[in-house]
Amino acid sequence: MTNDDRFQSLYRKYYKRMVRFYTGTFRVSEEDAEELTQDAFFRFLEAMDEYRGDAEWAYLEAIARNVAYNRIRSQKTAKRGADTVNIDDRNCVPEPVAPAEPDYAQREQDAIRSKRLRDAIAELPQGSREAIQLWLNDFTYDEIARFLGITLDAVKSRLRDAKKILRARLGDSNALPEDEE
Amino acid sequence: MTTKSEFAAALMAENRQRRIEPPTAEEMLAFTRGELPPEEAARIRERLIAYPDLVRTLTAQFPEAAEPGDPDYLSDDEFAGRWAALQKRRQRPEGGRVLQFWRAFGAIAATLIVVLGGMLWQARSELKKPHAVWQQMDLWPDGQRGPGAKSYDLTAGESYLLLPRLLNDQQFESYRVDIVDAANPSRRVRSDAVRRGETGSLVIVVGPESLKPGKYKLQVYGVNGARQEPVNTYTIRVLER
Repeated sequence: MTNDDRFQSLYRKYYKRMVRFYTGTFRVSEEDAEELTQDAFFRFLEAMDEYRGDAEWAYLEAIARNVAYNRIRSQKTAKRGADTVNIDDRNCVPEPVAPAEPDYAQREQDAIRSKRLRDAIAELPQGSREAIQLWLNDFTYDEIARFLGITLDAVKSRLRDAKKILRARLGDSNALPEDEE
Repeated sequence: MTTKSEFAAALMAENRQRRIEPPTAEEMLAFTRGELPPEEAARIRERLIAYPDLVRTLTAQFPEAAEPGDPDYLSDDEFAGRWAALQKRRQRPEGGRVLQFWRAFGAIAATLIVVLGGMLWQARSELKKPHAVWQQMDLWPDGQRGPGAKSYDLTAGESYLLLPRLLNDQQFESYRVDIVDAANPSRRVRSDAVRRGETGSLVIVVGPESLKPGKYKLQVYGVNGARQEPVNTYTIRVLER
């Protein structure tokens, strides 16, 4: 089997699912996802001759993740370096003002609670802090385990400990955000 | 009650305020390969957690292969279009960019060669022209000029012909002259080997750009083979125009 044959076989098997991988996981448009997929396959094709392992799909996976990483990272850094506008600039069109929230007091209360919780999280032991931050960002237990390189039981244990400490520190059993799952 | 997503957004906003930098692609590679020492890996992990989307690039479930017959398996038609686009891209971009870079680099190099060549030609032409020397000055060594002698004053931005007299009976094969900035002795102009003239002086030509206003020591060394020794020192001043 030639390199081209092997590549074409992977291309047919993975193309559509990789597009879905990008749209589903990173919420990019179909068009962007196609571009990312082509980019990943292009890099894979360029590097294929140098790859010596058997599991080419694993190599493709590493490249696909890397392509996503670079794209997202460049977007994050581009946002931080975004141009600022002078509010006195006559050409600057202000965004429409958002309608006032009906319950200002409630919002203030939530903001204070959120600040207290953030401060309390910052004081957690590192393992628990990492786990709870990922959990708050809607990562599943499986994903947290994979990222931190620990077992599922260890994830559950760290989260349990973190929540216990946070509730004790905040003196409020309802202090933690609701689980939306 | 604050929801998880609201809280996560607040956490992210705080991280942005703290300006936590996302790990670079190289750091990520080292991190995923497990090549970092534990403390460094922990730091990278913390920076990653500040950017949940980046964490997702590592944790998201990668799809399994679609086998022939599956709707996700590219049909011949679907394959043909995409494959052609990929081949087109393969022939075009990276190589093209490299070629453009070398073209640009070549153009810059060619321009530099022309400019530097012109400057060299101009400098050679200047050197071939006869140059008038503005000031000629006989120099007597320090300590040999008697009390009340005037200092040797030169004007900045001119050419000088300096004639240091050698009051030393010892004969040397040749001489060397250092002109040392008195304020900064590490700054010195050094001559090639010079022979003593029939009048007992050396003849030194100093160009207009060589000496800035200030005080200088002109040191003459006698050279015999590899050996050299100080002979006389002369103090001169270069004044503003």
